[in-house]
Amino acid sequence: MSLKNILDIEELNKTHVLKIIESTGYFKEVLGRDLKKVPALRGKTIINIFYEPSTRTRTSFELAAKRLSADVINFSPSSSSMKKGETELDTIKTILEMKADLAVVRHKDSGFVKYISEHITIPVINAGDGRHAHPTQALLDLFTIYCHFKRMEKIKIAIVGDILNSRVARSDISLFKKMDLEVFTVSPSMLLPEDMSYFDTKNFECIDEIIGQCDVIYMLRMQFERQNKKFYPSVREYNRFFTLDFKRFNNMKEGAILMHPGPVNRGIEIDGRVLDMEDRNLAKIKIGEQVGNGVAVRMALLHYLLSQK
Amino acid sequence: MREKATVLNESDMDRIVKRIAHEIIERNKGSNNLIFLGIQKKGIPLAERIRDHIENLEKTKIDFGKLDISFYRDDIDKKIKTDFNITDIPFEIKDKDIILVDDVLFTGRTIRAALDAIMDFGRPKSIQLVVLIDRGHRELPIRADYVGKNLPTSLNEYVEVMFKEIEGEDKVSICWI
Amino acid sequence: MDINKEKHKKTNNLLILNGSIVNTEAKNTFKSDIVIENGVISRISKHITAGDFDKSIFKVIDASELIICPGFFDMHVHLREPGSEEEEDIKSGINSAIRGGITSLACMPNTSPVIDEPFLVEYLKMRSCANDYNIFPVAAITRNLEGKDIAEFGLLREAGAAAFSDDGRAVQNSKLMYEIMKYAAQMDVLLILHEEDYSFSEDGVVHEGYFSAAKGLEGISNLSEDIMIARDIILAKKTGARIHFTHLSSADSVNYIRLAKKEGIRVTCDVTPEHFYFNDEYIKDFNTNFKIKPPIRSEYDRKSIIEGIKDGTIDAIASDHAPHIDAEKNISFNEAAFGSIGLETLFKASITKLLKSEKIGLEKIIGLISAAPSEIMGAEKNNIKEGRQANMSIVDINCHEKYTKEMIFSKSKNSAFLNENLYGEVIYTIVNGCLRFINKIKSQGEDFS
Repeated sequence: MSLKNILDIEELNKTHVLKIIESTGYFKEVLGRDLKKVPALRGKTIINIFYEPSTRTRTSFELAAKRLSADVINFSPSSSSMKKGETELDTIKTILEMKADLAVVRHKDSGFVKYISEHITIPVINAGDGRHAHPTQALLDLFTIYCHFKRMEKIKIAIVGDILNSRVARSDISLFKKMDLEVFTVSPSMLLPEDMSYFDTKNFECIDEIIGQCDVIYMLRMQFERQNKKFYPSVREYNRFFTLDFKRFNNMKEGAILMHPGPVNRGIEIDGRVLDMEDRNLAKIKIGEQVGNGVAVRMALLHYLLSQK
Repeated sequence: MREKATVLNESDMDRIVKRIAHEIIERNKGSNNLIFLGIQKKGIPLAERIRDHIENLEKTKIDFGKLDISFYRDDIDKKIKTDFNITDIPFEIKDKDIILVDDVLFTGRTIRAALDAIMDFGRPKSIQLVVLIDRGHRELPIRADYVGKNLPTSLNEYVEVMFKEIEGEDKVSICWI
Repeated sequence: MDINKEKHKKTNNLLILNGSIVNTEAKNTFKSDIVIENGVISRISKHITAGDFDKSIFKVIDASELIICPGFFDMHVHLREPGSEEEEDIKSGINSAIRGGITSLACMPNTSPVIDEPFLVEYLKMRSCANDYNIFPVAAITRNLEGKDIAEFGLLREAGAAAFSDDGRAVQNSKLMYEIMKYAAQMDVLLILHEEDYSFSEDGVVHEGYFSAAKGLEGISNLSEDIMIARDIILAKKTGARIHFTHLSSADSVNYIRLAKKEGIRVTCDVTPEHFYFNDEYIKDFNTNFKIKPPIRSEYDRKSIIEGIKDGTIDAIASDHAPHIDAEKNISFNEAAFGSIGLETLFKASITKLLKSEKIGLEKIIGLISAAPSEIMGAEKNNIKEGRQANMSIVDINCHEKYTKEMIFSKSKNSAFLNENLYGEVIYTIVNGCLRFINKIKSQGEDFS
């Protein structure tokens, strides 16, 4: 049970995942206190290295570190000023001379975080690399599902949208299948990988085919920024087959939950009117809860990686 | 680790619980402002027993909470510690007299961490410490208010406390490491 | 001065005793001794007595456990000179080639400047001569490899261009390609084609398949190659141009070429060792040494390439030696440059995979890296015959060891074969009659220098 880094779901086994999910519960309790801070990582320094702009994930990691009394440095190198790889690595090494204890790294290129981890000695958490992996998102998603259903096995989940360009989809599917959830995808042909055998999921062309049978409807963000070649015809075509509108929301299975990694493109993945009902449907719409759970999962991971020598 | 000698048996432990319950009532002139906090894990059953006994004697209800001090340890670099337990304090502790309960008092570091943890939940009127065994070797200026048994030990000995609720029997023994 | 003369004499006059000579034409291997006098093979005979020769003039090579092959011909090499001498230059490239038993090579024109001017071809010929080595310069098909204006095939050929290629790029415009082929047919020059439809490969870094999906890396579809191969077979059929597809990677491409050959269309093709040795699983740890173009494809594609080698669809093996400095490879996978060095592993990888694993005949394998490419390039066919200038590599095919960076002669170390256990070792390389390489470790410490 010794992990040095959190880079990819593939490196975790079931025991790791269960341990992380279990300990996340204890960290979540801290977040419910009046004084939401414990001294567990006092004296530790965590550096957030974000090559790609991200407010949500960076803030979540920052908050997680601060709730544990660690010091946080945020470093956002502009990728334009750093062209050659050696410079990137040298910059990171310089930063680490400041004696950070753990690095949280996000980059636009798949595999970059692993590359960094091979060149520095401190633990590294992947906060998203290209289209490859976003393991902390997947773990918080699993934790959210587990908190609601109190189990994982046989939970039916439909992942809807841009599978091809989504690191969230990649890590989610990988994690959910590992933990024996039943995973389906709902996606148009141009937003699926050419070879689906890695995911090995049954795909549906329209959300209506499956919406009544699933315990979890997981809407992916349409990654327009990562779709360098836009092949999908239009938003209204997407609305017709995939968007979670009011009617589809009501057609969800009794007790089913709705999730989204955020931020939601209103009217594209989910109808704005559905989102506006979240306050009155906290048991069904989990998008806000995911954010809070994200902090707890990241606390658990920071503590886990820093509490072993 | 092998057993060396039994220090307390079931009836010894039962007598200690009753004695300490009486001491607490006497010292606090009743049980009105008391709340109990057991330190995870072995402080919980002991705290429950003392609390239950006082409730019986006083015919009253006393709040009971569980405290895990993992987040407050000062030795994160020294040992692998990923076994968390729940902290559950579903009531106000402000201005209360807290009876903090643990099984063994040794270096005092656990109690130091517990005091920090309690302060994060509010400002109690007082904190009184109950331990089943005080084995000496303090590294911090901490003492217990109620002690089940003072047990002088050497550093290469280990005190093992067992409770029916956890191990299936009530017993305290001293072991070689 | 005298000592140097002596030395030169000795490297030009050789007695190679008890070796097994590979005859790629007759497809057999026979035991014989070889006498080389002033660089020319004067006798091939089983009855040579070492005592008859003056030891102060002749160097004696004991080849009892060794195989004597015609010098290897690598028809796809990037020497990086002029322009990127930090990665490789002609001298270091030649050293690397000789280390790999290669006695002739064709170098690609994507240098800086691009080899699209006759004087640049002459420059390469001159550098080749100065190093007493056989370089066959390949000139650009289109000016500056831009895929717009056809280069001066006639003038470039007269300057010494052995073939034409836009390697690293492919002509996307079909009408232009048609005109190129018509002109190539008229001038009777060989076109070496790197096939890639950019609309399928744009931003791609690995084979599009299981592992591109798993790792979130942009894929390059097989269609990128297949479509262009099919197009150019059609154009070659129509124009009669002589075309050679280089570094084939896709199963369907092998099939299309098989069919084209059956129809009698003038096409030949080569593969690199990387494409028959590895599959796309090797990229799973984001090791940039496996980032090459065309990408290392699926196991199915790899097996189809092996089939193509076995049934003769694939004519030759070439290294696509592509040196890159550490800064271009020791970075994230997306940013890293495409390419792997290969001069020193062309022979070893072929022996390891094709002889040891696939049990393909030794003579056939040696033919794929010597006689066949020299024939395609229109050079004198590499063969061991009396009266010919000696170009040969003397090899051990049974030893094996882990391939490490320390062994590499090339200026760049970006080899996909690092840490592979490779069979085969070049012990001696004789170029244009001169003994140019002695493997000091493997030749039992024999040292004449």
